[in-house]
Amino acid sequence: MSRREFIEELERLLADLPEEERRAAVQYYEDYFADAGPEHEADVIRELGGPEKTAASIRADYYGTEFREEDYDNKAYMEKYGQNSRRREENAGWNEGADHAANDSGRQDAAGSGPGAWSESDSRQQSGPGTSRRMKILLVVLLALALIPWLWRVLLAILGCVFGLVCASIGIFAGLVIGSAAIMIAGIIMIGVAVVMVIPFLPVAFLVGGIGLILFALGMAATVGTVKLCAIVYPAMFKGIINLCRRPFYGKAV
Amino acid sequence: MVFNTGAALLDAIVLAVVSREKEGTYGYKITQDVRKVLEVSESTLYPVLRRLQKDDCLEVYDRQYDGRNRRYYKVTDRGAAQLMLYRSEWKRYSSKINAIFEGGVDL
Repeated sequence: MSRREFIEELERLLADLPEEERRAAVQYYEDYFADAGPEHEADVIRELGGPEKTAASIRADYYGTEFREEDYDNKAYMEKYGQNSRRREENAGWNEGADHAANDSGRQDAAGSGPGAWSESDSRQQSGPGTSRRMKILLVVLLALALIPWLWRVLLAILGCVFGLVCASIGIFAGLVIGSAAIMIAGIIMIGVAVVMVIPFLPVAFLVGGIGLILFALGMAATVGTVKLCAIVYPAMFKGIINLCRRPFYGKAV
Repeated sequence: MVFNTGAALLDAIVLAVVSREKEGTYGYKITQDVRKVLEVSESTLYPVLRRLQKDDCLEVYDRQYDGRNRRYYKVTDRGAAQLMLYRSEWKRYSSKINAIFEGGVDL
């Protein structure tokens, strides 16, 4: 991108600002490029982080909204931040000191982004130690498991109980469906028997056939109802189990 | 820099930098001067200058330089008063912080 393109793009991005505002901003950056000299043109464009970021900082100030520098990462900024976060991952949970150092330089990048600077570094501070704390809990659990052999058995027993309960609840609901279907089938059979009995025992045939029809209707209604119940309960159950398993790794907000 | 620079402190620093030039100074030089002491990205300062200008703390004028018009910024009386306020506030603030850091203060 050349200086000309930068200025044109900036002008386009500020189109909704009053003429006066736009002209002042464009003139400032025209001046800026001229004073930096053509040999620094590329540096200036990179440092400004592209016309989008520059326009966003001007618009944010004009409209009095918060400008979040991190939304407009330029390449140099990304490289710096990328290194920090990678370093932080490597050190998480093992080396407190270096972890803090990485956090510090992360905050250094954030410094000076104007009104947005506070919230930006705050959120970063929260994410850093939070991850290492969860990591520590996991490590402590693993350490305890390694040191106390019977803990494995307790854990296995708990897992077995949970698995059993899950299977039982699946079975109960499946049983409801099968039971309902069985009632329906019994109704059909009774209707069939009644048809056979029509000629020798007419009154009994009516009685058996009537009961058969009632059973069939009840069975069908129950089948439909229980199948619908399963359709609600099973996905909810699996979702619950998956969330429960995720929680130790990702925290509450999954 | 470990510490964040809030909006007010940035305003104060820019006012101080501009006030050092009696004849006024221009955007690129202001940015370079501020960046000598503070890590700020280059796009941070235009909104600050614009805001100070709107608050009548800075005034602008164009002067011929190298065959083009260059925009200069100058501190107004109001800006000078504001800077004085910032200076005394900073003195109070920083001496308190220093006292805590270096000990020997009754909290």
